[in-house]
Amino acid sequence: MKKSSTGLIAALFAIAVFSFSHAVSAADSWGLPGEEEVRFDAKVTDVLCVLSGDCPPDCGGGKRVLGLLKEDGELVLPIKNGGPFTGATADLLPHCGKVITADGLFTVNYGVKTFAVQFIRPLKWGRTNAFVKQWAAERGLEAKNKKARRWFRNDETILVIVGEQGKLGLKDKGIEP
Amino acid sequence: MAASLAVFVAVASPARADQPQRVTITGEVIDSWCYLSEIMWATGSAHHQCAIWCARGGVLVGILGEDEQVYIVLRVEEDTDVIGNHGIMRIQTNEVVVEGDLYERDGIKYLAIDTIIDDHGIVNYSHEEFDVQPFGE
Repeated sequence: MKKSSTGLIAALFAIAVFSFSHAVSAADSWGLPGEEEVRFDAKVTDVLCVLSGDCPPDCGGGKRVLGLLKEDGELVLPIKNGGPFTGATADLLPHCGKVITADGLFTVNYGVKTFAVQFIRPLKWGRTNAFVKQWAAERGLEAKNKKARRWFRNDETILVIVGEQGKLGLKDKGIEP
Repeated sequence: MAASLAVFVAVASPARADQPQRVTITGEVIDSWCYLSEIMWATGSAHHQCAIWCARGGVLVGILGEDEQVYIVLRVEEDTDVIGNHGIMRIQTNEVVVEGDLYERDGIKYLAIDTIIDDHGIVNYSHEEFDVQPFGE
């Protein structure tokens, strides 16, 4: 009797943990069109590989479009992470070919369903802000540094291109804001 | 007889969801996130700087076609390294004519561009109405 009670408690605990970890999304609402808070398991995959069979071994090393392939075959496209003006590639790349739990927002607009991934959990939950961390580290800065938080105003490549083209892209036509 | 023919056709031409379609598309190079999320005005010159920021930050680049469809860019000519691609950053907001392979999967259109046939530069002067998006600077 004692043994079966222990087993029952363990089973209920496992169900509770599973339900909490998969049914409840921790995503912050961003007020997006057709927004839905979701949490699901999926394999990090190279989209071009899935679609065309062109498959480099490392998902393209962070330079190719990455997707999340669910067990039911749905290919989810994460086009945004939790950082300012940043995508999710740097967050997802370390998990290429592996199944992760992703938490965030589906948004449906113009008939297109895409995903803003806010948290991922390969082992423990983490916010999706790898781009900024990586950008800061490459410049010997802390991610919380003001310059890193406004990376888009300080990135050398952006400064060169916007300097050449202007904020409106019309500098060559003499049009500036 | 009709049934056997149907079976033969099915076997001879297996339906492949990922079979590409050859397309020529004219449209504006856009930041897919800002456009699809509608968090700001996200086309034309008003959004040019932000489109460069987002492309550099790894947000997926798309083409907003004349048919008002969004095409996510997976490859440009031989280059599959489209994330943070400096060449793509330089043509953000431009109206381009491209030819390539179109894949459709789960409601999303993906484009592997073989050739940029033409580049008209920026033709959408949205700053005249929307200033600089976002922040006004």
